[in-house]
Amino acid sequence: MTAPAPADVPILQTASSLVELTLDTYVRLQRLAFGGGASAPAPVRELLVAAVAALERARTDLAEATRDAGGRVQTDPDPEYAPVVEQALPTVRGPGDVVGLALTLEDVLAQTLVSDVVELSAPPVRATVAGHAAAAARRKALLLTLQTLLASGRTELVAAPPDLLALPPGAGTVGFPDVLFPTEKASPPTEGTPR
Amino acid sequence: MTPRPFSRRGFLVGLGALAGAAGLAACSNEAPPGPPAPGAPPSPTTTTSTDPAAYEGEVAWVALGAALSGLAGDLLGQAATGAGQGRFGAVPAVVSAYLSGAAAQHVAHAEAWNRLLTAGGRPAVTGYPLTVEPALRERLDAARAPVDLLGLAADLTGTVAATVTRIVGEVTDASAVTLAAGVGPVVAMHGATADFLLGRPPTAPTDPIAGALTPDALTV
Repeated sequence: MTAPAPADVPILQTASSLVELTLDTYVRLQRLAFGGGASAPAPVRELLVAAVAALERARTDLAEATRDAGGRVQTDPDPEYAPVVEQALPTVRGPGDVVGLALTLEDVLAQTLVSDVVELSAPPVRATVAGHAAAAARRKALLLTLQTLLASGRTELVAAPPDLLALPPGAGTVGFPDVLFPTEKASPPTEGTPR
Repeated sequence: MTPRPFSRRGFLVGLGALAGAAGLAACSNEAPPGPPAPGAPPSPTTTTSTDPAAYEGEVAWVALGAALSGLAGDLLGQAATGAGQGRFGAVPAVVSAYLSGAAAQHVAHAEAWNRLLTAGGRPAVTGYPLTVEPALRERLDAARAPVDLLGLAADLTGTVAATVTRIVGEVTDASAVTLAAGVGPVVAMHGATADFLLGRPPTAPTDPIAGALTPDALTV
């Protein structure tokens, strides 16, 4: 098995910093009644639960890869987006805001991980990161769908299972807008290195 | 013609065309182009490529990506066509849109994998030379309702996503890694949408390559 190289360390640290921030934000959103509480739409509440579990796995995997590459594990949140979250959280007023904030973070995380797959030197670590990129992309797809439905004002459409006859046709495709996953919002590899 | 290493330049030409298609899709609320219209000539159901020795080593993983993306595009496209013809009862518009949209992206992925093969001097994969093809076609033939189509789509996209993630760890060519990195998450998004439409709770596989195919599944 090819071990990750020292040059991979900042890439993995930045990925870790985004995972830390996204995970912490999800946990805080779960505490809101309309995020993880009783008044939250079931798909939103279930997404937060699944996201926390998946991001905890990502944190563990990235930490192991960082150590294997000879680096120090990054446990701090991403410095670029942490202030954005702190500014946004007090303005979250309903499920649509929960979805919007989560979508912002997931898009950056997924795009960064996809970019990382190309940049990392060791194929096994690439595959691990690709798996987490796919998981983030799954969450992005669901968030895009939920955002569209919530923006329509018909909150009854955000249900599990959904009423297929009532859903607009666009709900079937809004979750996958790109043929190839974009990377223009990917964080640069040194953004999340320890200070 | 002597096969040569994958040409990054040749691949990037193809990738540029794909990015253009992505841009167009992103600028439109319409579903991407779907499968052939009813009445169009049917696509081949079982075909093989030409040179048995063409796909070896790393190239076989790329050929696997081409064959599997092509098969997914064909099956979901046929599901969309059948839905339009009333084969599966009353299919909600959102399901038809999903099938058409996902099919079009799978077809685009197959074309990109094939461009990578031909840029390296290998033949493009024609048809769907995979051991899993007959069983998947039987499952489509047995479908009777929209939920059957969505279940097939969820399982099929799960296999494609796992396989493409596996490919990321098996290839070293930069162009192949780049393509796999961009394709895998999009296929995962297809799966997430199918799960939502089915009313399944969101999840992410703990083992992202569980159920992945390997080049042993190629019949060429």
